[in-house]
Order: sequence, then C-alpha cells, then structure tokens
Amino acid sequence: MADKPHTTRDPDGLSLGDRAAHAVLEYRQGRPAALEAVVREMTPLLWHTVRAQGVEPQAADDVVQDTWVALVRHVDTIAEPHAVLKWLLVTAKRGAWEAVRRRRRDERHRTELHDGPDPETGAHRELPTPDPAPDVVVVEDDRDRTLWTVFQDLPDRCRELLRLVSLADRPDYKHISEAIGMPVGSIGATRGRCLAKLRTLLEQSGADDIWRHA
Amino acid sequence: MSRSYSPDEPLDADDERILAEIGRLALLVDPVPVDLADRSLFAMTLAALETEVMTLELVPEPTGVRAETAPTQARTITFTSTSRTVMITVAPGIDGVRIDGWIAPTGEVDIELHRPHGEVLTTRTDDDGRFAFDAVAPGPASLVARPEDGPAVSTPVIEL
Repeated sequence: MADKPHTTRDPDGLSLGDRAAHAVLEYRQGRPAALEAVVREMTPLLWHTVRAQGVEPQAADDVVQDTWVALVRHVDTIAEPHAVLKWLLVTAKRGAWEAVRRRRRDERHRTELHDGPDPETGAHRELPTPDPAPDVVVVEDDRDRTLWTVFQDLPDRCRELLRLVSLADRPDYKHISEAIGMPVGSIGATRGRCLAKLRTLLEQSGADDIWRHA
Repeated sequence: MSRSYSPDEPLDADDERILAEIGRLALLVDPVPVDLADRSLFAMTLAALETEVMTLELVPEPTGVRAETAPTQARTITFTSTSRTVMITVAPGIDGVRIDGWIAPTGEVDIELHRPHGEVLTTRTDDDGRFAFDAVAPGPASLVARPEDGPAVSTPVIEL
C-alpha cells in the first residue's frame, strides 16, 4: 500500500475521480466489480479525510464505512457521476463533523455526571482535546523526517489538502480542493498555494536539494 | 539565497515527488485500519439488500463491522424490528461456530447468512420458526430473514 507510486496508478491516464464515475455507472447497471476496486483504492483517501477532522480511529472507521454505505443508498440519485469523488469527500467530512459533535456531547455529559461544573465559578471544566496528529517518531529516515517536520509547519488546511491530494491522482486536485473549500486555479494543474508554501519552507530549511533530482 | 515558489506555476517533477512522499508518510504515521475496505464492501453489500435493519436488543459489543476475537463461550443475542423478532445463540463448535436461531412470529421463513466477499448460506425454518447453521467460519456476519408475508429484515453485523 505505502510503497505504491501514486502518480502512475493508472496506465490509461484515468484519474481516481474518472474511475469512480465509471464505477458508479457500472454499479447502476448491476456490475459491482469496478466499484469494489474503487473502494479499495479510495478508502485511504476517505480515512485521511475523516481523520483530518479530529475523529478518533474507531469512530473514523465507522464514518468511512457509513460513507460507502451512503453511496450505495444514493447511487441512483447522484445526478452528476463525475462529481462522485467530491460527493464522497463531502459526505465523509459531514460524517466526521457529526462524529466530533457526538463525542463532544458525550464528553460534556460525562464531565457533568462525574465532576459537575466548577462549584466556584459554575463554569464547565475544560474538555480533553482529541489526540493530536500521530507522532513523528515512526518516521525514522532523516530525509522523511525533514519533510514531515517542515510539513507540520504548514497551516492545518494546507496539510489536509496536500495529504488528500497525495493520496489521489493529479487531475483530482481540483475536486479535492473544492471539497475542502480551498479551490485551486481552474486552468491546468498548478502547484497551488499550499504546495508552493511547502516548497518555499523546504528551500528555506536548506532541505530542498535532497528533493531535487532525487 | 532562498527562492520562493509560485503557486501559479505548473506542477513539476519535484512537486510530484514530494506529493508522493507525503502520501507515503501519511499512510505510515496514520495507517488505514486493516480490512477497512473489506468491511466497507461488506457493509455496502448488506445495504444494497434494502432490508429493514433490526435493532440489537442485547449489546455485548459496539455495533459496526469490526475485527474482534472470537468468543469462547455461547452467547445469546436478540434482534427486533417492527414486524419480527430473531433470537440466536452462537456457540463454538468443533468445526467452527454453530448458530441456533428462532424467529417470531413463527412460520416457515427463508433465512440467509451473509458473509464478506459475497458468500451467502441459506436455510429455512421449521414450523416453529427454528433454524440452525452448523460449522460456520468465525468472522463478521449478518442474518437476513425473508418472510413470505412481510418485508425482509436483516440483523446488524455481528462477529461470530
């Protein structure tokens, strides 16, 4: 999975979004095989979409499954199959927000039950924040560590965008950035603000060289 | 001197390489759960049956398709919907898991046991609504009942 090159996934030059659109049309005709392939390929993208919203792993697992189930339930009403990639990303994000809301509500409820509001001020105690991004310790290679460290300096939304774009194909950049709410230029595949910023940060850290002609 | 990169330039080979590395690292630091795609596919297959999903009455574990260790002793689970009640006992056997079930209202009903990868076992209840599946492999499963006089109902996914 991790060693799969993401830029050469499809020899015919069809992007993940194209294949998802094709798979939905096939599925409507009673042929589920193409959709199965898309589920296998796109589940990492949905996982990271959900996790980027601060959803804990077990809840994220459910949200991803629910997103695929929602696709089956709505497969006949998706008016624009070519937007199915975006539809899945938006559905996953909404599911993630709902999971976060539910967790906050449960935590608040538990906090009130066990501790109650602060007796002095009447204020609610602060809730524990969800786990931060997974630790950098698993990244051992120096070159990887440099990239990952610089990557962490990007704004949250840039990290989310680049993470998702990196798990899809280049032509999907546009749909992914729209789903995230930070559209890139509509003409051609431009680098975009986030990647430009990352490149500049890498350059400033003196690490850009190791990425050139590597 | 450090330069800055323009957002409006086309993606170059170095951008592609960096993106590929980010993808690899993202999956390394936050790996996708094993079998999530398989469990999603199973959930999709069940959703496509368009059955009425029953409610779990006794909740020995969280719902949702999740990998768990197989139980070592018998357990009884009850499912209800507006039209039917299904009660099953799942017990470890010699060649796998044995399921003994009962559906009410009684009468002959077709019962299907759905497993991942499109595997479906079928049986039919006796006059008293009893049914059984013997020597079933452990793992996720959903029971579907198709009464002749009412809507098909299915259980949430359980771990056998």
